[in-house]
Amino acid sequence: MPLVKVPANDPQTVVDDAAAGSLAHLVALLAAPGGADRRAAVRGLEAHDEGIAPLCARLAIETAASVREAIVATLIRRRSTAVVTALLPLLRSDEAPQRNAALEALAAMPDEVAPHVEPLLRDADPDVRIFTANLLGVLPHPQAEAWLLTALADDHVNVCAAAIDGLAEIGSAAALPALRALPARFPDDSFIAFAAAVAAQRIDA
Amino acid sequence: MTKPATGKRILIVDDGMTTRLYYRSVLEAAGFAVDEAANGLEGLERALLDAFDLLIVDVNMPKMDGYAMIARLRGDSTMHAVPIVTISTEAAGSDADRAYEAGADLYLVKPAAPATLLETARLLTGVAA
Repeated sequence: MPLVKVPANDPQTVVDDAAAGSLAHLVALLAAPGGADRRAAVRGLEAHDEGIAPLCARLAIETAASVREAIVATLIRRRSTAVVTALLPLLRSDEAPQRNAALEALAAMPDEVAPHVEPLLRDADPDVRIFTANLLGVLPHPQAEAWLLTALADDHVNVCAAAIDGLAEIGSAAALPALRALPARFPDDSFIAFAAAVAAQRIDA
Repeated sequence: MTKPATGKRILIVDDGMTTRLYYRSVLEAAGFAVDEAANGLEGLERALLDAFDLLIVDVNMPKMDGYAMIARLRGDSTMHAVPIVTISTEAAGSDADRAYEAGADLYLVKPAAPATLLETARLLTGVAA
């Protein structure tokens, strides 16, 4: 009889008591049909260094918001360079919940995220640069404003728009010249002129 | 110059503060009454509590993304007929497909020009230009 049985169509998971805390059992439970079982697996895996990779892998496909939230909370508590490295690919996910979960977790790991910011801002995919600018607006790091100014120099209008929003929240007077110069780069875009003016007003206030 | 009130209410759901203000300025100048929500969860609550003639919903938002918000709204029997426009930075066809599958009536790509925004709002709320 196997130690762990996770029937595909049975929400009732059969578990051998001795195996309840084992890594193999918890990784298997992470794929259980019931959300309560998957949340239990998340809690158990937090105690295992080897549990971080399965948690990140599960986050990439998890459909239940409550399980995603449990994984994000666990990853934040177990913050490390390895966690950040495992989360960054989710910024390329086609699934908005997965991207949002990754952004929420990354925002809570500023020191671990910092070495990755400049490469992300040079990424060939404008969506990745947009999400990075979104992240910088909520990243508690002393370099965040400088990175947002780098994003503001991007050629893609929506990267600039994301950078404007970030600067509107955390920008200082140092950002004003770049904000005031931006509309000239997008003379046909009334939104950029409007948003840059709003951000500058908020910073000036 | 602000036009006479249309009597139509629009809810803007977007995590970008400047985006919300921009849409508000364009729509209010054309006579629409505008409310705002800063994420999908807040937008869902507002949309279920108040009556709106049009929802303008971003896709990428914290707490609840636009697809999930729209799908949840369309699952409510009182929200089947309310027009919903998604506006996203993502221009890929698959993103538009996903918005329509969730229940959106129209998918626009950011940045949406003021004329496009107004034309869309008037069309979907039945307001003459």
